[in-house]
Amino acid sequence: MATNVSGTALAGLDAGKPPEQAFGERLNRIFTAYALQKPDRIPVLLPTGHFLAQWGGVTRQELTENPDKEIELLERAALEFEPDAIAGLTNHPGAALALGDLMTKWPGNGLGPEGSFQFVEHEFMKAEDYDAFIEDTSDWAIRSYLPRAFTELEGLAQLPPLGMAAFGTYAWFNLGLALTAPPVTSALHALSAAAEAQVVTDARIREGVGRLQALGYPSIPIPPLAPIVEAPFDFMSDTLHGMRGIMLDVLRRPDNLLAAEERVLKFQLEFAIDYTNVTGLKTVFIPLHRGSDGFMSLAQFERFYWPQLKALIVGLTEHDILPLVFYEGIWDKRLDYLAALPRGKTLGWFQFSDIFKVKQVVGNTMAIIGGMRNSLLQAGTVEEVRDTTRKVCQVVGEGGGS
Amino acid sequence: MTQALVDAIADMREEEALNLARTALDGGTPPLEVLDDCRQAMSLVGERFAAGECFVPELIMAGEMLREISALVKPLLAGSAEAGAPKLGKIVMGTVQGDIHDIGKDIVYFMLDVNGFAVTDLGVDVPIETFVEKVREIQPDVVALSGFLTLSYDSMKNTIQALVEAGLRDRVKVMIGGGAVDEQIRAFAGADAYGADAMAAVALAKTWTEAS
Repeated sequence: MATNVSGTALAGLDAGKPPEQAFGERLNRIFTAYALQKPDRIPVLLPTGHFLAQWGGVTRQELTENPDKEIELLERAALEFEPDAIAGLTNHPGAALALGDLMTKWPGNGLGPEGSFQFVEHEFMKAEDYDAFIEDTSDWAIRSYLPRAFTELEGLAQLPPLGMAAFGTYAWFNLGLALTAPPVTSALHALSAAAEAQVVTDARIREGVGRLQALGYPSIPIPPLAPIVEAPFDFMSDTLHGMRGIMLDVLRRPDNLLAAEERVLKFQLEFAIDYTNVTGLKTVFIPLHRGSDGFMSLAQFERFYWPQLKALIVGLTEHDILPLVFYEGIWDKRLDYLAALPRGKTLGWFQFSDIFKVKQVVGNTMAIIGGMRNSLLQAGTVEEVRDTTRKVCQVVGEGGGS
Repeated sequence: MTQALVDAIADMREEEALNLARTALDGGTPPLEVLDDCRQAMSLVGERFAAGECFVPELIMAGEMLREISALVKPLLAGSAEAGAPKLGKIVMGTVQGDIHDIGKDIVYFMLDVNGFAVTDLGVDVPIETFVEKVREIQPDVVALSGFLTLSYDSMKNTIQALVEAGLRDRVKVMIGGGAVDEQIRAFAGADAYGADAMAAVALAKTWTEAS
């Protein structure tokens, strides 16, 4: 379940205001805090996640697979909790199922109906793939990676080298032969089916965002509203080489790893800039995984994680894109690095870091989101939750920017 | 003991460690002696991890070297029973139902193992009944429950409740841990202790097995 920064009891605070006015005030409140200014009150973000299922009395599977239900529950949650912004599930399974995605498990697909969406790491990229990855990333991605990572795309392994496939009429004669091979045709159909599933999902998301706006509630710009990019190290770990593989690379082949991270940095930046230009929504979400305290030494962090992540974040801000960075886990020993990010240009959403220390070290650098532990929200008494909320608001809210 | 082999492993010099192991075995060093060096090196890596001098890459690499050297030793071991050191106590562990995260669990396994416990790892997304069956069968001193997701709170609670209902709860100590777990969840789930990291898990297990 997601955390939120909660103010004092807000119910009824905006009662009677026309939705357009409430919407504008909420948005203004949020952007004032983003800019490290002091808003009229501390904005409350409510990313609901699987909480909606429990709260709404449906299984997680139903919530994940039934957008109507999800939108209905989101509307109910918005009206009951009156947050300044709200978000529902970040993931819907349609496209992943159409592609035979081996990286994800879904409630009702790979997990029981009450399971929680999860990633499964594999070593789709082997150590011996580094040269091909660095030499021609796109070709390797399409002809080697996709067939390994998605069962329905196995046929793409039968495509000719992509350079061969594209240049001139003769090349198209050659490519035509490959495209008629049944496994290739089948893979292309799977891509088409995934696109169709995504079209349906996107339409429902837009509908949900519109209905929430009509009630006066902005949506939090996290996926699927905003694109995801990752720290290059995490990108290599999460989707390509797995954590075991990547951690061994730190010791066995550091130069290959660094070269691969350069590639990842370059195409992620290009992607985010293009995407935000096309959509006009100048926000990206960056969930961080392996950089938190405990995974690697500070020396390793300084070499393999931080420079590439910082280049990504700074590169985005230089294009007026606002990165919403989710600092998963605990970052207490790494906050000084974060303090070097451009002031007022990024958002820091902290999961389990010491939120008061966060305020102290990066409070002048970025707007802070977080401070409400899931364990407290599930197992704490109402009084404990109120006390913590009050303290977080007083200390972290001091001076704005949260 | 070959200090050079112990050092090569502990200092993450993989190629050198493998060469030293190979040379030792070719030269007639008893295979059990080589394994013993590995065990010592693992224990050294565990100490360094506990002291914050090495991290996950080194733990994984140490495990990898142990696997590689064991593969060299194994064919030579036929007939001679492995003389395992006496274990401090038995532990059954796993990631609770609905949760498939294994990184933290594997680190805790490594640290309990190198510290001399006989650990049975039931894997991830472990059904409540499996915990009950295995506790009945293995009769461990300690049950260790891992979880990363918020849903693990309920799974931990239900697993411990199932141990109560099976009449097994008072025969074991239960510890819980994982990214989103804390003291509040310990009370919520009815565990005996919460550990913030793998070193805490070792300390708890030692306290409990020494006391019994």
